[in-house]
Amino acid sequence: MGVAISIENAVKRFGKDTIINGLSLDIKPGEFFTLLGPSGCGKTTLLRMIIGFNSIEGGEIKVDQKVINNIPTNKRNMGMVFQNYAIFPHMTVKDNVAFGLKNRKISTSQIEAQVDEILKIVKIDHLKNRMPAKLSGGQQQRVALARAIVIHPEVLLMDEPLSNLDAKLRVEMRNAIKRIQQQIDITTIYVTHDQEEALAVSDRIAVMNGGVIQQIDTPKNVYQRPANLFVSTFIGLSNILPGMVVVKNGKISIRIKDDIIPMDRLSQEVKDGQNIKVSVRPEEFIINQADGAGIPATVKSSVFLGITTHYFVTLADGQEIEVIQNSDIWDIIPDGAKIRLSVQPQKINIYTEDGNKNLVVRRDQV
Amino acid sequence: MRYAGEKKFNIWVAMALGILGLFLIFVVYPLILILYKSVLSEDGSFSLAYFGKFFARKYYWNTLVNSFKVTIVSTLLAAVLGLVMAYVLRSIRIKGSKYLNILIVMSYLSPPFIGAYAWIQLLGRNGFITRILNNLFHVKLNGIYGFAGIVLVFSLQSFPLVYMYISGALKNLDNSLNEAAESLGCSAMQRVLQIIVPLVMPTMLASSLLVFMRVFSDFGTPMLIGEGYKTFPVLMYSQFMGEVSTDDHFAAALCVIIIGITLILFFFQRYLGNRYTYSMSALKPMEAEPCTGLKSVISHLFVYMVVLIATLPQLTVIITSFLATGGGSVYTGGFSLDNYRNTLFSKNNNSAIFNTYLFGLCAIAIVVVLGILISYLTVRKKSLLTNILDTVTMFPYIIPGSVLGISFLYAFNTKPFLLSGTAFIIVISLSIRRMPYTIRSSTAIIGQISPSVEEAAISLGCSEMKSFAKITVPMMMPGVLSGAIMSWITLISELSSSIILYTSRTQTLTVAIYAEVIRSNFGNAAAYSTILTLTSILSLLLFFKLTGSNDISI
Repeated sequence: MGVAISIENAVKRFGKDTIINGLSLDIKPGEFFTLLGPSGCGKTTLLRMIIGFNSIEGGEIKVDQKVINNIPTNKRNMGMVFQNYAIFPHMTVKDNVAFGLKNRKISTSQIEAQVDEILKIVKIDHLKNRMPAKLSGGQQQRVALARAIVIHPEVLLMDEPLSNLDAKLRVEMRNAIKRIQQQIDITTIYVTHDQEEALAVSDRIAVMNGGVIQQIDTPKNVYQRPANLFVSTFIGLSNILPGMVVVKNGKISIRIKDDIIPMDRLSQEVKDGQNIKVSVRPEEFIINQADGAGIPATVKSSVFLGITTHYFVTLADGQEIEVIQNSDIWDIIPDGAKIRLSVQPQKINIYTEDGNKNLVVRRDQV
Repeated sequence: MRYAGEKKFNIWVAMALGILGLFLIFVVYPLILILYKSVLSEDGSFSLAYFGKFFARKYYWNTLVNSFKVTIVSTLLAAVLGLVMAYVLRSIRIKGSKYLNILIVMSYLSPPFIGAYAWIQLLGRNGFITRILNNLFHVKLNGIYGFAGIVLVFSLQSFPLVYMYISGALKNLDNSLNEAAESLGCSAMQRVLQIIVPLVMPTMLASSLLVFMRVFSDFGTPMLIGEGYKTFPVLMYSQFMGEVSTDDHFAAALCVIIIGITLILFFFQRYLGNRYTYSMSALKPMEAEPCTGLKSVISHLFVYMVVLIATLPQLTVIITSFLATGGGSVYTGGFSLDNYRNTLFSKNNNSAIFNTYLFGLCAIAIVVVLGILISYLTVRKKSLLTNILDTVTMFPYIIPGSVLGISFLYAFNTKPFLLSGTAFIIVISLSIRRMPYTIRSSTAIIGQISPSVEEAAISLGCSEMKSFAKITVPMMMPGVLSGAIMSWITLISELSSSIILYTSRTQTLTVAIYAEVIRSNFGNAAAYSTILTLTSILSLLLFFKLTGSNDISI
């Protein structure tokens, strides 16, 4: 089940400001699709265009090949979960969940049955007759979810649904959302600015910035092979080091500072001497002894976090770098210690100097 | 913001146009007519002669000077009294402060002219206290009339408003501000002067301006207790309704002058409001601290004296309503229920009570419905049209009641709008007078409701109209209802436009009280007033029960 959504060259203007200018994407039936980006990137605007709270000034939004640009929201059959839950405060849990069904002229007994069923799925059947003011944040969240999916919508839209919950509840709820989404098999579009949340729940993620889609990919690829420098620094931490391509005897290497690293999967279009940006995640460094191989550096300070230990180090030219190592049984390297850093070449990403293009050829693209 | 598939001309636009039309007919048109009349000479040409006439003769322009004098003095007194009372009651534990608070609010809710008439009973030429003093000291005191009388009534009547506002502001003042100042080395007195007074100053200015506008345009009080001391609204009323020589065009010019003054005050208030506001919300409000010894005695004495004096008119009225009279203003000394027999149960007189309830309830219904719609349109459906609506619906705020009454008579005395003398015109005038306040409170209520609640309903298959009716309106209701009760209490004590618009069939309680006072039928007046007071008290108690708090905003 589930419908396909395709957006073609969508344009959104507020007065004279163009927020989204010709955006296109395709969502597969039953997919859990996430719009991820910093605040103000247009992700919520796009979501509201899909459900119809925002008019669309150009292009087309299609559900199963049918253009829905001018269909009013209440005729679109899409369920939405709002950031502030938007629970009707003057109605019980049951009435909140039954609200959409009552608008659909379904018999009372059927409404009752459907409400009971969905309340069981989201695990709040014991709260049926409570008023919203007597519910915790997580419980309200479940009501909002139940209310949105009980109408059997073609699409489920969620706008930062977990941002008002505390950290522990957030993890619990995102697992619940993922489970329920799979259980009822519904095309879902999820908006968030929390990358960890996006990685955890999504089938695919669209990373947005400035109203433009930067990358659409699986969580694994978005993290491990970011399409450009923005994605690389927005998703997770990345240390950006300037570097240069060295081609010698047909063998491609890169030079970071004075360290030469052979790269076997770099795009063939690179030229000898081309300036590049090298993106290295903190865990992609290997710390060597001061007399070992790699880039010379000095430990400035360290933070012990249990599973991992973070080192803040300074390179010879003053650039500051964060390095993460699994905590081992040896002593933490003392502040001021001289070390050398080498990188894991199969993991790092190489970008053109302007940062717009990833020069690493992905395994699945070979 | 536009929803997908929304038409340019939809039900909301139609509604906004309809409401705007109503305001054009009942607010803008009468106002324009007044402006037009004020500059139209006898032969139909443009002339500023009526304004010239006003400023040429001292007899006329002196009323304006008098008005400013009594207003400024009463406002200052009310502000100081309100500030001190609020601070004392918030900072020092006073026994029975909860009831004192209600009594203070009560004394504000009765119409000022009833205070004037009650004070005449006490301190007038033949007043109760005057007679005691005269007998005791063998003097011939002539009673409190003129400037002193007006100022007495107005300041006692108005300080509760300042008190309520400042009391609310003090409640929002976090005690940690006090403690921070103390930790930085401030003495108690310095804290009051450097922290508390500056922080409540914006509230004090705002409430003082409200008092100023109310006092400046009140006509009942100076009419009754002013005697020779003529203020501007009295001149306006007598020029329009007087028995000797009335002059429509001159009265219109006077209306324009007073609108000009209230307009200036309105913008001044807006300027101050935008410039000096602190948003505060207290996690830990200031607490009334118990104190002992002389300080406690003085505080108690002061607070109780002020409350006693403020409620004295109400007490007087209630007591005199049970006194037996010889049919007029002379009390025979005993107690009786005659006054109630004459008012409540006499066929000729009891229509005033019925009218008050009927007109009041109709006006409340209109005000609530339009208030919800207008605030919804201006908050949720922002457009040029609703911006205009927002401005136009605030017009009545600057129109004093008597001006509204006069303009209605000008506008609706002839076909096609022949409405004068009907109950309809009184209901409309009451609604219009209350509209700006209701719109403002409804707007605040809508501001508290997240738009996504409505959107949730729409996404669940509701039309916009249905989600408004089933979600937004029910969510607004508690706030709107408590606002409606306050409107009700103010409406039933309205005098200045009803006195101009009433006929014998459409008399209301306040008009009846005023008429009985003028006829020296003090017994009947007292009985009517007591019924009015009782209604207010019951409504107020209902308000407290409904909102579950003792705080009031008007």
